[in-house]
Formats: sequence, structure tokens, C-alpha cells
Amino acid sequence: MAQVRFPNGRKLWDPVLKLNVKFLAFALGSVLGLAVFVATNWLVVKGYAAPGKARMIGPHLHLLSQYFIGYKVTFFGSLFGFGYGFVLGVFSGGVLGWIYNKIVDLRHGG
Amino acid sequence: MTNSRYGQNDQNVVIIGGGPAGLTAAYQLAKNGLKSVVVEKDGVLGGLSRTVIYKDYYFDIGGHRFFSKVREVETLWKDVLADDLLRRKRLSRIYYNKKFFYYPLRSFNALFGLGVGKTILVIASYIRARLKPIKPEETFEQWVINRFGRRLFETFFKAYTEKVWGIPCHDIRAEWAAQRIKGLSLLIALKNAFLKSENNAANRKNVVRTLIDEFYYPKFGPGMMWNAVADFAKDRGADILGNSEVEGILWSGDRVEAIEVKDNGSLKIIPGTDFICSMPLRETIQRFKPTLPRELLQAAGNLRYRDFLTVVLIIKKSDIFPDQWIYVHDPDVRAGRIQNFKNWSPSMVPDPEATCLGLEYFCFEGDALWNTPDADLMELAKKELVQLGFVTSEDIADGIVVRMPKAYPVYDSASLGALKTIQLFLGRFKNFHVVGRNGQHKYNNQDHSMITAMKAVDNVLGAHHNLWTVNEEQEYQEEISPDMSRDTAWAQILTGPLAKMDKLAFAAATGTVAGMIIFLATIFLLIKGGAVVGPTLALLGQYFVGYTVTVKGAFIGLAYGFILGFIFGWLFAFLRNMMVSYVIFRAKKTAEREKLKDFLDR
Repeated sequence: MAQVRFPNGRKLWDPVLKLNVKFLAFALGSVLGLAVFVATNWLVVKGYAAPGKARMIGPHLHLLSQYFIGYKVTFFGSLFGFGYGFVLGVFSGGVLGWIYNKIVDLRHGG
Repeated sequence: MTNSRYGQNDQNVVIIGGGPAGLTAAYQLAKNGLKSVVVEKDGVLGGLSRTVIYKDYYFDIGGHRFFSKVREVETLWKDVLADDLLRRKRLSRIYYNKKFFYYPLRSFNALFGLGVGKTILVIASYIRARLKPIKPEETFEQWVINRFGRRLFETFFKAYTEKVWGIPCHDIRAEWAAQRIKGLSLLIALKNAFLKSENNAANRKNVVRTLIDEFYYPKFGPGMMWNAVADFAKDRGADILGNSEVEGILWSGDRVEAIEVKDNGSLKIIPGTDFICSMPLRETIQRFKPTLPRELLQAAGNLRYRDFLTVVLIIKKSDIFPDQWIYVHDPDVRAGRIQNFKNWSPSMVPDPEATCLGLEYFCFEGDALWNTPDADLMELAKKELVQLGFVTSEDIADGIVVRMPKAYPVYDSASLGALKTIQLFLGRFKNFHVVGRNGQHKYNNQDHSMITAMKAVDNVLGAHHNLWTVNEEQEYQEEISPDMSRDTAWAQILTGPLAKMDKLAFAAATGTVAGMIIFLATIFLLIKGGAVVGPTLALLGQYFVGYTVTVKGAFIGLAYGFILGFIFGWLFAFLRNMMVSYVIFRAKKTAEREKLKDFLDR
């Protein structure tokens, strides 16, 4: 898209998007943390909705405890899960944003 | 105070022209306690924005909406007229082949108006134009065809444009149309696309008015406004001289010192300390005394104008069409527009059972149409009105012809060069300011003309505005909104997120992060150990051939993760850019449609 400018020469918009690393990290962390929190509590509620059935709640989601130490498929576990998910998301988002911006600077001149 | 050989020492501002620009200058000077003398050639005030009265029927020659995005202008209008300033909802459609079309075109309206067959051809022509645009784009004709298709151009725009300008569309330069589509219009269209909630009643006053299509209008036409402005100035000491033609602009060195005015057959000298001139620029340069060098006179001679005449007909019918005006795109009639003065303000027509229409014919002063006797023009107008299907000849009761010279300055390559030469010359004068549409030979709206006058008065009071660029900056400010700080913020908010995402960069970043997650997840389990390491993670091997929960597998996982993440990231960025491009494309189309509408209006 051709560059468009205000009459005073200021660019109407930059040609290439730069990511705000902090915002991306926070957003990804929030989304991931929330995903784990909701997924965990969904199974918890589902498990209590079918009382009397002797079975483990969330046997597959429980595998997350291999990475998220202290995580369980319980309400309190979901809080741990939120925390871990948030941290993982923040880290991933931050790294992603940082790498993206660096490559953009290299390709387009920062 | 200055010493003038014409004996004027106290500050006295001479205003040439009693139109919107000249009278606004007088008004502003009066508000600042400064006297002025306004010299107007005609016996009627208002310039191009005047009301003509015939047998208690009021006509607005040209149709003048009172609409401005500039607070000071609107305040002036409201202060002057108060309750006599009506608020009107605009309706102005295209009339073609005895049918009304909205512009911007509405799909069902266009479909039923044109017919299915013609609509299909229009769509096909549009697609062809989009796929294979004309390059290079040098003329107005090419500009319109590239955006709307040849069929639509020939159906709606060609005939009307050539009626207005009297020259073929392929002779009108493309940049004259293109320069009106600025990034600012695009920003406004984008802003309004994202801010639909601002259209609710609570926030209507903050939304750019062109999208609402309302305007103010004096009860008895624009002349009412300008006479009231003149009265305000006169009550505070201004002299307003009508029927006084400026014959000479007397200059010496870098100052204008006085003007010569025809007064009862003799020439009267009116000295001044400052001069604000809205007289047509061509005449202005030609009347400088001593006479200016040939180069400047030639430049002045290259400034041309488009003129028009209105045949006003009084019709014995209470309603004809609800629009304030319609554009007549039929090539078989010469009338370009038809004004319905009753729809501007009901007070303009004394008899509620009658209607007053003004058929506008664009021409050049002195050409065959201009020189046609009034009686013949009336017959032409009657015939065309009947031909268009609005009335029968028995309905037409009376009429009058009004000629309006120099209604529109013509932009062509000769005039653009001429303007540069003239601007350079006039730049030497610190006490001579050209304002208004014809004063600057610029396609200024009424409110822009007023703004040039306001800035000229500021200059008289010590400011240093460049009046030639005032309206470009003003349009820039208006395009954003009266509230600059809010829209600067919006500009920053909108322009960042709408930038293109670098697909390669995003793909590489996503791939790196995805690959690292799989690598670290694998290594973490290896470090943790156990009887069986990572039985669940090993299931990834079903997708990642060769992957195992081992060190070697971690690197394989890194590679697969990178590739998968790269593809996902690239697709995400591609789709995101496509959607943003679509949003910008839609906004650009909206901006172009609005500007073409603006072009048709002017």
C-alpha cells in the first residue's frame, strides 16, 4: 500500500506493523491462563454434575501436572493452572513479539 | 499608522467585493473595532451566494448549503441569524431517464432504475475496470472509469460532467479529481467504520456531518445572511458601497495604497492601509496601476471561469420532487441541475400551491447560450422541463432568467502555472490579501471563503497566515474533526493496527516459539526421567514422523514445531493482512464515493 501522509509530511500510518511486546505477552498470557482455568473447571463441574460415578476427573488434562507442578484437575488446581498458563503465555508472547520486531527491523530498517 | 501619498494615515481597511469573503472580513473587523469600507460592483450583496427576488419569490442562484465543520463559521451564522437559520435535511439525487437515483448508488435503487440487463452490464464493466485498469491514469475520464467502470461513467458521470465544464472528460486532468481523495478522507472513512456507535443520537453532534447530510439554511436564502452580516458591520461603522466597480488598484513598491472606484462617471480614490480583495483574480491583476508586466497580464489572461445561467420557472403545482436539487444526467437536455427552492425553505415561495424551480445551464460568458435572448431561454427551459416529465406546459406560469458570471474557476494546466506566477507577485505585498473563491481562483466553498477572510483579518491585526494554504490546512483539519486532539489520538490508534504485518517475520517468530515449546517440553520430561519417559508426549510421533522423547527427538520436535508454527504464523499474518486490506479497501471506496459526490456538488 502506497505511503500516505498528512499535509505536514507526517506519515498517515507506518508501512509495517510493529508488535507491542508487552501487550502481546499480557494478552497471550491471559488467554492461555484463562484457557487452562476454564478447561479445568469445565471438567470439575462436569464431574460433579455426574455424581456417584467413580472415575477420575480429567485424566488427560491431569497430564499438565507433568509440566505444571502442583496442578490438579480441581478448583484450586485451576488457579495453579491459570498461573502457569499465564506465565507460559507471557513468555511465549514476549519472545514471539521480540523476535518479530527484530526481524522487521532487519528487513525494513528500524 | 502609515504615511500614504493618498493621505490615509489611520488604519483603514478597504474590502473589495461584497460576497461571503468580503462581508465576513467586514464583520470580523467590526468585531475588532476596526472600520472598513466594502466596495461591491453589484447592487446586490452576497456575491455568488445571493438571493434574487422576483414577485415575492426568492431564488438562491446556485443553491448554497450553509454547512461547515469549522466552529467559528457556524457560530457566525448562528449569531447573525439565530432562529431564521433553518436546519434542513439534504436530499439531492440524480435524475436520469425519468428515474431518480441516489448517490452513492444504492443497489436496489440502481437495479430497478437501470433495469436488470443494464445493471449486469454495469457490473461486468466494473469488474473489467478493476481487473484491467487504464494505465497511466491521466484524465478525469480514466480516473472515474478505473473506479466505477466505463458503463457507469457513461451512464451517470460523463454527460453531467461535460455539461458542467463544457469540455470533454478526457480533457480534464486526473489530478484535479485525485487530489480530492486524500488519505485524510480515508482516515475519516476508517474512523467511521470503526466508530459506528458514534452515530447514535447522543453523539450525533460529534460525527462528521457529511455523513449525516444536513445543513443550515437562511429562511429567505443566502442573501438574508449576507445582508444581515452587512448590517452588523454597518452598525459598527463600516461603509458599504454598492454599484461601485473597482477600476484600479494603485500600488507602489511593496504596498497597495488605494483603489480607484467608478463613481457617477468619475473616478474616486479610496485610500487604505490594508486591502482585502475577493474580486476575481484575473481582474485584480489586470487592474493594478501602474500596469503590471506582460508576464503577469498573460498569466491573468490564462485564468478562466465557468459561468452559468438559471432559468427560474414558477409552476402551478404544489409538489414536484422532494429534493432540494437534482442532477440532470440525461444527455438530451442541456440543463445540468434543477433547484427546487421551496425545498430549501418553504418561505421562499409565497404561494403554497406553487413551486419555484431553477434550471441551471452551465456555459461560458459570451458563448451562444449566454447570449441567447431571455425569451428563448425560457422556452428552452420549459421544453426541457416538460421533456423530463415533471410538468406540462400549462403548469408553467411565469419565469425569469438570471446570469451568474464567474461561478467556478477553471483548473487546467494553464491556470495552474498562471496561479504560481501571480502568487509569487502578490507575495511582495504585506497589506494586500486575496480571499474567497474568485479572489484566490480556488474552488472554495462558502465557508472556506469565509475562513480565508477571517485569516486575512488576523493578518491585518498582525498575524502571518499564508492565505493560499489556509484552506488546504483547513480541509485537513475539517476532514479530521473540529476536535483536533481527539482525532490525533484516533489517527494514532487507527494507523498502527492497520499497518501491514510482515508475514515472514511473524511466521519465523511463531515457528521459533512453537519449536522451542516442543523442544523444552521434551527436554523437561527427559530431565524429569521416570520408568517410562513422556508416553503421552510421544504420541506426537503420530504426526511428527521420527519424533521420540529423546534428545534427538527434541531436536526433531524443534524442527517440526518450527515448520508447523511457521506455516501457521504465515497463514495468520496473510489472513490478517487480507482482512485489513479489505477494511481499507472498503474505506477507500467510501472515501472515493464521498469525494465524487463532493465533486458533483461543486
